[in-house]
Amino acid sequence: MRLVVPILVVALSILPCYAASKSDDVKVKVSLSKTTVAIDDPVQLEVRVEGASQDLPDPKLPTLPTFEVYSQGRSSSYNWTNGVVSSSVISRYLLIPQKVGTYPIDQISVVVGNKRYKGNPVEITVIAKGKTSPQTTSQKGVDQSGKTRDYFLEAEVDNSSPYVNQQVLLTLRYYIAVQQYGTPQLIAPSTVGFWTEELGNKTPYYQRINGRRYKVIEIGYALFPTQTGNLTIGRATIQAQVASRNRNRSNDPFGVFGDFFGRGKDVTMHSSPLSIEVKPLPRKGRPDSFTGTIGDFRIWAVSDKKQVEVNQPVTVTISISGSGNVKSVAEPVIPESDDFRVYRSSSSEDINHANNRVSGTKVFEEVFIPRRPGNLEIPALQFAYFDPEAGRYRTAQTEPIKLLVTRPEGYAEGDDIYAGEPGVTIGSETKGIRHIKSDLGRTADSQKLILFDPVYMAVNGLPVLALLGAIVVRRRRNRLSADVGYARSRAAGKEARRRLAEAQKLASSDQSKDFYAEIYNAVTSYVADKLNISPHGLTSEKISQLLGERQADEELVAQVVALMRDCDFARYGAAGGATNQIESTLRRAEEVMTRIEEVRFD
Amino acid sequence: MTRSSRFLVLSALLLVVVASSALAQPEEFLMGNKFYEQKDYTSAIRMYESVLDQGIESAPLYFNLGNAYFKSGDLGHAVVNYLRAQRMAPADEDILANLEFASHLTRVQMQGIELNPINAFLRSLVGQYHLNDLAWVASVLFVLTFVLLIIRYGLGSEHSVLRLARVGVITLLVAACLLTTYKYRDDYLTRRAVIIGQESPIFTGASVSSEIELQGAPGLVLEILEYSDEFLKVSLANKRQGWIQRELVAEL
Repeated sequence: MRLVVPILVVALSILPCYAASKSDDVKVKVSLSKTTVAIDDPVQLEVRVEGASQDLPDPKLPTLPTFEVYSQGRSSSYNWTNGVVSSSVISRYLLIPQKVGTYPIDQISVVVGNKRYKGNPVEITVIAKGKTSPQTTSQKGVDQSGKTRDYFLEAEVDNSSPYVNQQVLLTLRYYIAVQQYGTPQLIAPSTVGFWTEELGNKTPYYQRINGRRYKVIEIGYALFPTQTGNLTIGRATIQAQVASRNRNRSNDPFGVFGDFFGRGKDVTMHSSPLSIEVKPLPRKGRPDSFTGTIGDFRIWAVSDKKQVEVNQPVTVTISISGSGNVKSVAEPVIPESDDFRVYRSSSSEDINHANNRVSGTKVFEEVFIPRRPGNLEIPALQFAYFDPEAGRYRTAQTEPIKLLVTRPEGYAEGDDIYAGEPGVTIGSETKGIRHIKSDLGRTADSQKLILFDPVYMAVNGLPVLALLGAIVVRRRRNRLSADVGYARSRAAGKEARRRLAEAQKLASSDQSKDFYAEIYNAVTSYVADKLNISPHGLTSEKISQLLGERQADEELVAQVVALMRDCDFARYGAAGGATNQIESTLRRAEEVMTRIEEVRFD
Repeated sequence: MTRSSRFLVLSALLLVVVASSALAQPEEFLMGNKFYEQKDYTSAIRMYESVLDQGIESAPLYFNLGNAYFKSGDLGHAVVNYLRAQRMAPADEDILANLEFASHLTRVQMQGIELNPINAFLRSLVGQYHLNDLAWVASVLFVLTFVLLIIRYGLGSEHSVLRLARVGVITLLVAACLLTTYKYRDDYLTRRAVIIGQESPIFTGASVSSEIELQGAPGLVLEILEYSDEFLKVSLANKRQGWIQRELVAEL
């Protein structure tokens, strides 16, 4: 809620300006290329709508029953001056009068917002054919024998006496009234003595000349004369393949098929050379800073900071914008100053060809380094150009830029920095860059990348192995504690070896009965551990049955049974066994247990 | 040999190595410094470069060479050498300061490439560290991660503090690996060049007859996209691209 009030205030304060700019600034200008024309002689009607809005509508043309009307397209341009947008839309129409008389055209209007804006009225007088002064346009399209031509090429300049470096618009128009095949090839005219910029093709349009309807393809060139005196624009040539209309049609019954099958003829046409008288620029009133730029330009400069320390750079962006040969715009002269050192850095240009005029912006970036603290001022920069419309020199200039230069810590008067240009002597050790190092420091060998070093890889590989090892150890331990059978089975061998050792001790101490009892117990508990069952009540029959179930070798089963039986005999029999018998029993017990180890108990 | 005596021998050895490296400053380096002090920058450059010719590289050597170029007015070569110095000693403030100063004179964004916000953030994080430092940090975190994993899965100890530590360390490890990879890519995989020519047009095509996209200034850093016989395709501020003659730039 707290935001609503400020938003309302802002909106209310903007709205009236917006509405005002929308309603007050729309202008409609109507103009004709000629006011008196003959029947069939085309005349161009131009409607220029200017306003502050960025999307101006197309004008509404009244019905003009006595004219054939062809639209020749629209072009628009935007201008941004001092934060105000102005835009203009130019719509061109070609009118071909059909009847003699005087016709006012006063109903051209545009609707912006809810308001209608009318254009200025113009009047066109149409006279009968042949009455106007013989102009090229009325004669064009007619060959020497008076017949209309199927195709022709015309070249025209908008100004035949320009100043040096002033744009001349050369327009080539290719008229064709018959069908053509393929793409016509254009050989551009020679333009020695001019800096040429191609403006490109325009959308083709149709025009009626001497009662025939021609398709017109227009190509524009912006020419900037680079020298004074008489210059010639050479003839342009077009090679095309066209249908051969009227060619012996009465005599050739197949002529129509020739056209039908696309069998055209190759034709070449030329435009006439044009002579241009280039005027030198007047000497009178030529400013010193003039470098030869012609057109209409504006200049402004912006700095990236308003406050800076001594010897710290400030970038000033200088933009020169306007119509004319932007590429030839030279860097503005920056006046010498004790307050700043100036370095040129880069320049860039942005060129467009709107409305058949070369225009654009050239941007220079300059670095200013203040030499002393205080309220300094980057002086106004001037840019001189020649205005060909007014025929005089003009100078555009920037506003001076104010800069507050502060004193950095430890700054002493007279400190100076690097001078930039080679051969310039430098004062005391600079504030600008830090001093060289006296020690060579660590050399490249110690700077080797460790990322792919084997030691580095080993260091990182070790913990992986350690983790794997720890996991294996832990799993085994877990199984021992969780699975009694597994634990008993793993411990069985150890336990059996302990009992056998015990038995051997008993054998040597001549307690043969105990010896046999120990062997018997060793075998039964070994089998019991392996099978994870209770050793109590394990008889030789039971063992032979259990081993048999686990696919133990029959011979092994027989061995076990025999061993246990022998032990029983010895334990419960009358006489103690002989020494050699005791030893063989021990070996047999070991052998049996080794072989049981190989039996699978799962 | 007792532990303490072994330590003594080791430190003595280390001292000898350090001392010898200090003593082994090439004559040309010291001569270069002397010429620099006498403001004979051309001779200083010749001396420093002869050290480089011997296959010896170091951050101070590149730094001094950059200074000598700067003082002799060759901004392009100054920037090249500052950048080489910076790659070897990213945290050195002197290098940073002079590079900054030279780049202001070039006025164009130092890296010549408008960084996207993620890149800019990553660069601000790793800018001052050498790739090796980052690699070691990543390595330490890696080992630590595995120690924690061994405690968990090897010893089976599960404690909430341990779990927290594990999450924290693994997060740091991922971040460290990411930054190391970024640093490696930025420092070693991305090819850069610096404009050294006074008049260095950047063309729209690989030919001097193509249109000029931009007039480059000495010291402007470009990212190399493509090589051709006489031209380099480069990318500059605002991701604009163009072609520049090879002789007008020095590759880093």
